[in-house]
Amino acid sequence: MTVRAVLTLPHPVLMAMATPVGSVDADARALAQDLVDTMRASPACVGLAAPQIGVPRRAFVVDVTGHRKAVSCHGTFVLFDPELVSADQPTAGREGCMSVPDLTGDVARATRVTVTGLDVEGQRRTLSVDAFEARAVLHEIDHLDGLVFLDRVVGPHAVFTRKTYR
Amino acid sequence: MAPNVLLSAPGTLTHRVGTVTYCSAMGRLWLSALGADRPGIVAAMSGVLVDLGCNLEDSTMTNLQGYFAVMLVVAAPKGVNAGALEEALEEVAGRFELVVAVRPFGDVPALGDTTAPPTEPWTIAVHGADRTGIVRDVTSALADAGGNVVDLSTHLVGETDAPVYVMTLWVTLPAGAAGEGAAERIRTAAAALDVHCSVHRDEVDLL
Repeated sequence: MTVRAVLTLPHPVLMAMATPVGSVDADARALAQDLVDTMRASPACVGLAAPQIGVPRRAFVVDVTGHRKAVSCHGTFVLFDPELVSADQPTAGREGCMSVPDLTGDVARATRVTVTGLDVEGQRRTLSVDAFEARAVLHEIDHLDGLVFLDRVVGPHAVFTRKTYR
Repeated sequence: MAPNVLLSAPGTLTHRVGTVTYCSAMGRLWLSALGADRPGIVAAMSGVLVDLGCNLEDSTMTNLQGYFAVMLVVAAPKGVNAGALEEALEEVAGRFELVVAVRPFGDVPALGDTTAPPTEPWTIAVHGADRTGIVRDVTSALADAGGNVVDLSTHLVGETDAPVYVMTLWVTLPAGAAGEGAAERIRTAAAALDVHCSVHRDEVDLL
C-alpha cells in the first residue's frame, strides 16, 4: 500500500496534458493501486487523477460509494485513457479538490455521462454514470487535460475560500 | 518546485514563487477607489502598484450602477506606507476622477479564541418587491442567531414602478443542528418582510 503525496497548485504537472497509458502493464497496475490507496487515505475524497500524485499519465480512480448525492454507483473503479462518449444535462454544483486546498467553486457539469476506457485488467470498459458519479468522472478527466475546477467556475463570484470553516 | 505553502510561512523569510517575491516583512495596506466606470482603471492602478513593488493580494472590484468600486489588500515593501501609495496614485486618480483612500492594514483581530463554537458555510438568497429594511432585518436575524456575513451583494432590478430587490449572502452559521435553527430565524425575518428567502447549507464535495 502506497499513499502518495497529493500535489497542489501551482505544480506544473497539474497544468499539463497527461499522456496516454497505452497498454495496462505492471507499472500501470501499480499506479492504479497508488491512486486507490491515496484516495482512501482521505475519507472525504471520492476521486483522484494520476497527475495529482505526480504521474502525468491518463488514469483516474473514482468511488462514490455511500455518498448522499450519488445515484449511479460503480464502486471503486480505475480507468486508463478514458474518453467521453457523451455528456449532457449540465447542473451547477460546488466542488473542492485536494489539489486546490484553500478554495471551492461552483462548476456546471453534465449529469449524464458515458465514458469508456481500459480497466486494470486492460479490458475496455464503458460506463454510464449520472448525478454525483458523473461530476466526479468529469472532474478527474479534467485533471488529465491539465484543468482544475477553477478553470470551469461559473463566474468570479463562484470561488470561495475554505479557511473560514475549516 | 517550492510548494506554495511557503506563502504562509511564518518569520521573516523571503520566498520566491514564480516571479513574485513574498516577504513576511511586507506591510499590508488597504486601498479603496471609486469612480465613474471607464476602461483602463484596473490596469492603471495595478501598474502603479507594480512599479512600487507592491503585490495585489485579495481584492473585490465591481460595477455599481455605472461606478467602478475597488477594494484591495496590498502587500507593500518596507518604505511604501499608506501616504506614499496614495501619493503615487494621485496621477491615476486625477486622470480617471477616482476617489482613492489608502490605509494601513493591521493584523486582523481574532473573532474569538480557539474555544469559539465551530461554524459552517451557508448561502442565503433573498428576493422580492423592494422595501425598506430588507438588509437590516435579514442581517439582524443572522447576527442574533450567531451568524456572520462573509460576502454580501445586492441588486436593485425590475421596472421603476415595480422595483425588485435581490440579495445574496455567503455566511457562516453555528455548526450542526444549531445552524438549522439559525436558518429558520432568518427565514422568519424574511417572511415578515414578505420577501422570498432560501437558506441552504453549502455542500462542498471533495473530488
